[in-house]
Amino acid sequence: MDQAQLTNFAKLVILAMVPYVLASQGTMLGGRTGIFNVAQEGIMLVGASVGFLAAYLSNSLLVGVLAATLVGGVFGLALAYFTTTLRMNQFVIGLALFFIGLALSTLLFKFAIGVTLRPPLVPTLPNIAIPGLAQIPFLGEVLFDQNWLVYFTFIVSAFLYYLLYQTSFGLELRAVGENPKAADSLGVNVTLLRYGTAIAGGMLMGIAGAYLPMVYTGTFTEGIVQGRGWLAIALTFFGGWRPDFIFLGALFFAGVEVLALRVQVIGSVVPYQILLMLPYIATILVMMPAFKGVRAPAFLGQNYDREKRTQV
Amino acid sequence: MALELTPDAPSGAATRFKQIADQLLPYLIAVVVAFIVIGLVIGLMGFDVLTAYRTILFTSFKSKNGFVQTLLKFVPLLLQALAFTVPLAAGKFNIGGEGQMLMGAIGAAIVGIIFADLPLLILLPLVLLASVLFGALWGAIPAWLLYQFNMNEILTTVLLNFISFSLVDYVAVELFRDPAAGHPTTVPIGAGGELPLLISSPPLHSGLILAILVAAAVYIYTNKTSAGYELVVTGANPRAAGVFGIPVRRLFFASLVIGGMLAGLSGGIEVAGSHHRLIEGMQSNYLLLGIIIGLIAKGNNLAVPFVAFFIAILEVGASAMQRTLLIPGEMVFIVEALILLFVLLSDVFKKR
Repeated sequence: MDQAQLTNFAKLVILAMVPYVLASQGTMLGGRTGIFNVAQEGIMLVGASVGFLAAYLSNSLLVGVLAATLVGGVFGLALAYFTTTLRMNQFVIGLALFFIGLALSTLLFKFAIGVTLRPPLVPTLPNIAIPGLAQIPFLGEVLFDQNWLVYFTFIVSAFLYYLLYQTSFGLELRAVGENPKAADSLGVNVTLLRYGTAIAGGMLMGIAGAYLPMVYTGTFTEGIVQGRGWLAIALTFFGGWRPDFIFLGALFFAGVEVLALRVQVIGSVVPYQILLMLPYIATILVMMPAFKGVRAPAFLGQNYDREKRTQV
Repeated sequence: MALELTPDAPSGAATRFKQIADQLLPYLIAVVVAFIVIGLVIGLMGFDVLTAYRTILFTSFKSKNGFVQTLLKFVPLLLQALAFTVPLAAGKFNIGGEGQMLMGAIGAAIVGIIFADLPLLILLPLVLLASVLFGALWGAIPAWLLYQFNMNEILTTVLLNFISFSLVDYVAVELFRDPAAGHPTTVPIGAGGELPLLISSPPLHSGLILAILVAAAVYIYTNKTSAGYELVVTGANPRAAGVFGIPVRRLFFASLVIGGMLAGLSGGIEVAGSHHRLIEGMQSNYLLLGIIIGLIAKGNNLAVPFVAFFIAILEVGASAMQRTLLIPGEMVFIVEALILLFVLLSDVFKKR
């Protein structure tokens, strides 16, 4: 591999990171207040479908991204309402939202576009080189000559890190996921924080979905998300529910994805089916040690009832 | 964490009847509301709502063929739902029924093709056994990862689904490819591996009886035996169960393996009964429907077959609606998801 190939490979990895990072930061955000979202795959599908349709009909990718953000937020709101207000089982509601997202994504596309032989296309997101930074050899080209959602992902990750670990608001937020009763007794509004993080998390997942048609395919297909939503959950555990480690861990997930595609194109002695399995097998393997070492928020997946005397 | 299982409290006939009515009422309301919501959408899209309703609900009963189609859908749905509810009783979420089904189908196809010459009495049991074992293996991997590394089973079961898709492709393309088929498909299994037919035209295979027997066995296991009771107790409160000496972690393991066996069998029955070969994409969306069925039944294994039959009716109606009225079949999926949501909501409001 020469210099140009290496640069190209690194660039593709950064490009492939985005949906993982966004969906995973969204999962982390909700998880930090105890809401375990398992509807990523469905929300990303809806985000891809709505994002594509809005972009196609309005002729503006930005409108598409905003629409996907909105619909992702609505899913997050639904999750928060059913689990935090009605205190229903988080996994069951998450699965139900996953089903609805799955069905809705195809349904909306069929209603808006109908069945066509030639799929409608949106232009892919253009690269915007950042003046100055893009001139740095290698790193400049890899990191700072990308589309704006890549930069958005950098900024979101850095912002979340700052928010969680450098502000008192972040401390309150983390406290809710660790011990909501204690946080509540100190005057932290547990319900509000749970709603907020679930909605913001859903928004990030919606954007992660919209990214796929706008960068890879130019259109929506039923299999577009291809398990990335589920892998994002894995990444969240792998990254120890921390924005910084999630960002770094995504390098691995994206690297395996790009590598598997690469080897497929070049051709190898290994059957292509094995290469297709690679991301999933690699994920399970890296999770083995990660799960032993990592501590998830103590109240992950549990609802908080402030009128109850004891919390299990 | 766990869903509440409905207890079988023995009581007089009148109170028993009232109990059942009380439980059925929310279901009825859920179905009606879901249909009203979806009727509004269909109407707004400019389709004929009443014809759509009629197609969804009555296609199964209008012809012999429709009814057989419903029964054929019912079989994998029932087993998939049980593959979800058995681990659910222990508080574990098996989202890997799809992969386990495909592994079962792979096992059945491999045995059925390699030993194609064996007579029915030997080959058919071998084919079905292979499917159960392959499914069990695919359930045992997440079970082991949970036992050994405390790895979240939702995650691992889903990831294994994706691995199984590639395995099916490998078997159907590289190992036993049928060159005549355009789509990745294996050559047929031996005639001795085919499930005997109950009715020949339209063909209805005896997997139906097998599935019902298995469902009865599962119901007896979870609701009438002490081993099943330990499972339910574990799901209800793992910590308390542990205090009483129930090997909680081993039960988690066992429940996921049983789930794998049930899903694997559904794959074996599809191969031995319906397709007589392994076909890529044969898993359809049985996994999602199985989960919906299990959740609508609230994990009650007595209710699962009835819910599964109802969903089978909707599914057959959905494809008829798509064919004749050109309304996308996903519409019915929304109906099913709404029914689930309303059934769950009814619980919340009952508690208040």
